Amino acid sequence: MKLIFGYIRRHLSLFLTAIFFLTIEAAADLLQPAMMERVVDDGVKAADVGQILRYGAVMVAIAAVGAMGAVLRNIYASRTSQTISREIRSDLYRKVQSLSLENIDHLQPASIITRITNDVTQVQEFVNGCMRIMAKTPITCIGAMVLLALQTPWQIPVMAAVLLIAGGFIFANVRLGYPRFGVMQQRLDQLNKVSREFLSSVRVVKAFRAEEGEERKFSDASQGLAGATTSAMEVMAVFAPLINLTVNLGIVLLLWLSRSGSTEIGHLMASVNYMTQILFSLGMVSNILNNAARAAASARRIGEILEEVPAQKAGEERPAASWRGEVVFSDVSFTYGGAGKDALHHVSFRAAPGETIGIIGPTGSGKSTLVNLVPRFYDATGGTVAVDGVDVTRADAKALRSAVAVVPQKALLFSGTILENLRWGRENASREEVEAAAKMACAHDFVTAAPQGYDTVLGQGGVNLSGGQKQRLALARALVRRPRVLILDDCTSALDAETEAKVLESLRQMRGVTVLLISQRIAAVRRADRILCLEDGEVRGFGTHQELMASCSAYQAIYASQIGGDSNG
Amino acid sequence: MADKGFTPPPARMGGPARGLARGRPVEKPKDLRGTLLRLWRLTRGSRKGLGWVLLFSALSSAASILSPLVIGTAVTAVDEKSPVGAILLLLLGLYGMDWLVRFLQQFLMAHVGQRIIHHIRTALFSVMKTLPLAFFDRHQHGELMSRLTNDVDNISTTISNSLTQLLTYCFTILGIFVIMLTRSRILTAVSLVGVVLIFFFTRFITRHTRKLFLQQQKILGELNGQVEETVSGVGVVKAFCREEQVIDEFEEKNAELCRVSTRALIWSGYLMPITNVINNLSYVAISVVSGLLAVGGNLSIGMISSFLLYTRQFSRPFVEIANIYNNFQTAVAGAERIFDILGQQPEPPNRPDALPLTAPRGDIELRHVTFGYTPGVPILKDVSLRIPAGTKMAIVGPTGAGKTTLINLLTRFYDVDDGSILLDGHDLRDYRMEDLRRTFGVVLQDTALFAQTVAENIAYGREGVSREEIEAAARVAGADGFIRRLAQGYDTVLTQGGAELSQGERQLLTIARAVLAKPPILILDEATSSVDTVTEQKIRRAMVSLTAGRTSFLIAHRLSTIRDSDQIALIEDGRVAELGSHQDLMALNGKYAMLYRTQMGIS
Repeated sequence: MKLIFGYIRRHLSLFLTAIFFLTIEAAADLLQPAMMERVVDDGVKAADVGQILRYGAVMVAIAAVGAMGAVLRNIYASRTSQTISREIRSDLYRKVQSLSLENIDHLQPASIITRITNDVTQVQEFVNGCMRIMAKTPITCIGAMVLLALQTPWQIPVMAAVLLIAGGFIFANVRLGYPRFGVMQQRLDQLNKVSREFLSSVRVVKAFRAEEGEERKFSDASQGLAGATTSAMEVMAVFAPLINLTVNLGIVLLLWLSRSGSTEIGHLMASVNYMTQILFSLGMVSNILNNAARAAASARRIGEILEEVPAQKAGEERPAASWRGEVVFSDVSFTYGGAGKDALHHVSFRAAPGETIGIIGPTGSGKSTLVNLVPRFYDATGGTVAVDGVDVTRADAKALRSAVAVVPQKALLFSGTILENLRWGRENASREEVEAAAKMACAHDFVTAAPQGYDTVLGQGGVNLSGGQKQRLALARALVRRPRVLILDDCTSALDAETEAKVLESLRQMRGVTVLLISQRIAAVRRADRILCLEDGEVRGFGTHQELMASCSAYQAIYASQIGGDSNG
Repeated sequence: MADKGFTPPPARMGGPARGLARGRPVEKPKDLRGTLLRLWRLTRGSRKGLGWVLLFSALSSAASILSPLVIGTAVTAVDEKSPVGAILLLLLGLYGMDWLVRFLQQFLMAHVGQRIIHHIRTALFSVMKTLPLAFFDRHQHGELMSRLTNDVDNISTTISNSLTQLLTYCFTILGIFVIMLTRSRILTAVSLVGVVLIFFFTRFITRHTRKLFLQQQKILGELNGQVEETVSGVGVVKAFCREEQVIDEFEEKNAELCRVSTRALIWSGYLMPITNVINNLSYVAISVVSGLLAVGGNLSIGMISSFLLYTRQFSRPFVEIANIYNNFQTAVAGAERIFDILGQQPEPPNRPDALPLTAPRGDIELRHVTFGYTPGVPILKDVSLRIPAGTKMAIVGPTGAGKTTLINLLTRFYDVDDGSILLDGHDLRDYRMEDLRRTFGVVLQDTALFAQTVAENIAYGREGVSREEIEAAARVAGADGFIRRLAQGYDTVLTQGGAELSQGERQLLTIARAVLAKPPILILDEATSSVDTVTEQKIRRAMVSLTAGRTSFLIAHRLSTIRDSDQIALIEDGRVAELGSHQDLMALNGKYAMLYRTQMGIS
């Protein structure tokens, strides 16, 4: 909630303008019964048609002013709530783009997306509701009190008592309802979790004939949600009618107290009218407060992201001359947040400019972690990673990343044309440069085979391509960049052996590029200048294929598992 | 609580959101009457409760119709200085009843409504669980999830709410109209003018806002798409230093969204205040006209009071009804989507003369099998294979050649289009489905683990399995070691559905699961493709003990893993291109031999 008010404060003048016009609107509503009272007391009672028409004209004027207030309030309120939600959305998105991958892993991308899309909408609707109805209620209540004080002071205690009691009920409603809405949200999450699990494992469920068990789980979760919802609604069922009753009793009391006939009849009618107006707005308030529980939950989730402290600080250093592509790891260790074990443990090695380093090792041995430190996706927890003598944690990230290109394991493309995707590598790359890169990555042929060629529009995430095609485009994208250091993170896994061999061969032809090539296959790394063999985050061997075959038992084991005579598997 | 992954769109909001939703494009149901009838059938068991809810809402609207009349009488009485006690007692009674029925109605609704929701939801799930795999392959998971959670919720609350509201409003309009008419025709006419104005004005506004809301939805969809893409691909964005560009793109869409939704909001927002103004004007008109009438002695003071209260109550239903009806239609259209699922063909039932399958030998034969997911696009074309009991068959071939499809047919996730698959001499379709599925043990590439304990995951789908059996299976699979190193050993809850384990460890768990199930026939679908070759060796060792004496199918990307199979079938373009042992195929020196050599790095 503090978050929401923070944003409101930023647009205080806009917000207050909306509230100002809302006050005019409410005042006009309130003045109508007061004028009506004059129609009755001065006009009807005195049988004075002139008075009736005069007050009628005043009432029309008031209605017109009220209408103006309402229209302006509507414009300002809409602007305020939309501007606020635009800003929250924008702040969230900018924040997310400024966070390091470590933060994003921690927050989980899917959850971040929901927060930017859904939660912001929740908050926006609440802010809007606030300005439309919630603020109107206190204005109506206070206004009614003031008018009564001016006309029939003796009714004030009745009105005050009604408001006090109704307010108490609203308070109790919120106090009891709020935690219940929280439980409801939790149970909803639980139900979602169960259904998600079922849907993503449906093959296994069916293969193991476990449908009954899954149904039981689902039914339990559904029952849990139904129970929590019922309990939250029960609270509302108790209090909403009580609030109604309180105001209604107030009306009866007013009528009873006026039985002596000392009050002018117009006054009485006006008071009854105020009561119904108050009743109407109180009903709206409890409605909004119940939504507030939801908005608060959303605001909290948004706040979590906004308060996230980026795990990395920006640096400014660049190499003295231009980038050459020397990569040096000195005693580098790395631990993922929350994990107890080092993912990398005292790793040291040097890749000379232009050298191709093969990196091999079992799953989970730290290969990807190692290369992720070079473009500074993560920061080493111990030791330093340096590119051309610049410690990457102190390097200007933009300059560093323009010299280092990564082809990730999972090829990710974005919606847009193929050409646009490839130009992610370098904005101003010429068409010829792009095509040359695509040829190197063995992508040119299938791209030109499509009717629109390089202008083929890709759907979200490149859905209309096969895995192998995506990998080749991702590679071409990296080549367009003309990097000094090229990182290939097992990025040819979806290619068939033939194409893979062709791609690797054309990469070998490149000059002046340091290549860090991760693979699980000996065949892919054996021709590298040197090979780094990792296991359990530690370097087990570093040298040429022949050297490792002679000295590194871990490498030998991998070799044996793939090529050596082991045929009993 | 931090939500993980999918959080459904917000459930239906109360008051203000409904007000904002005015003029949102309405989805029209295809068969209103039919759908309502089917919904009605689903309320079995809660109908009595629903009847009471309706009765209570009728009573409550009666109270709100009658109270202004009583108030008016009281005002007249006060004015004429006659006793008001009895009248007020009546009013008190009316309000008391109003309170009671409101409470009862809402309280009952809380229970009945949720019971119906739970009922529909579980009915939906129990149908969904019987649907063939084809259904799940065709639909996005997010879409099905929102069917299961939100849609059901939305539909039943919207329908029950709008039904009661619609009824009360109709009742209110009619009641007030009759009362007003009997008291003063002139004043009724004045009131009606306001109502008619409001009605046409509402139509005018909603027509205008519909376009704007459509536009808003479109831009919002684009914005959300962009967010999804660039947040899940944030690593690539960073790698290519595209932060500024994606932020610019985002801001552009964000600004556009802000502009369009402000306009939509302003236009739809005019409805409430303008209605209010028309209301105020009819209030003025009533005041003046009734004042004039009263001066002429044609109307009591109390009647003025009643009419004034009525004008406030009268117009609201008119504004709301159109809106409620739209909500109602959208909800019914949503219900149709649910019935769509309920009406899906479940997996074909067992034939009445289905054979039990108690001790299968495991002889499998494929006879001229042809199959495709979409009619006319066959994936497998005239495939014939024979796998004698107890032997190992490996299936290799490029992606998309039809390897996984073959598995889908064996386990009867799908049925063949043409030809037949025989198990021990009988067509698969002759057996009872539950027996058949128990016969196959499947280890899939994507390891599905559940947010339960490790032990429960191993014993998945089976009941009454002892701890000893589970541990024994884990030992056979070579998983015992790492399980014991987990914080709670076998009782460790995999809160993230296995994400906390390495790929190799997850795979070992699913193998342990297959070991425990002791299936006569085993299918390993690329079970080792995403682990390194050393881990793979461990898994293969586990598989050796698992496959011993069993008919097994191995699908593999890496040829090193299948060299020692009894038969190897190379599938290409839906046909068996080469068939034989490793030695046979190497001797044949065809496609397989070439693939093998490239993979081994032997040129």
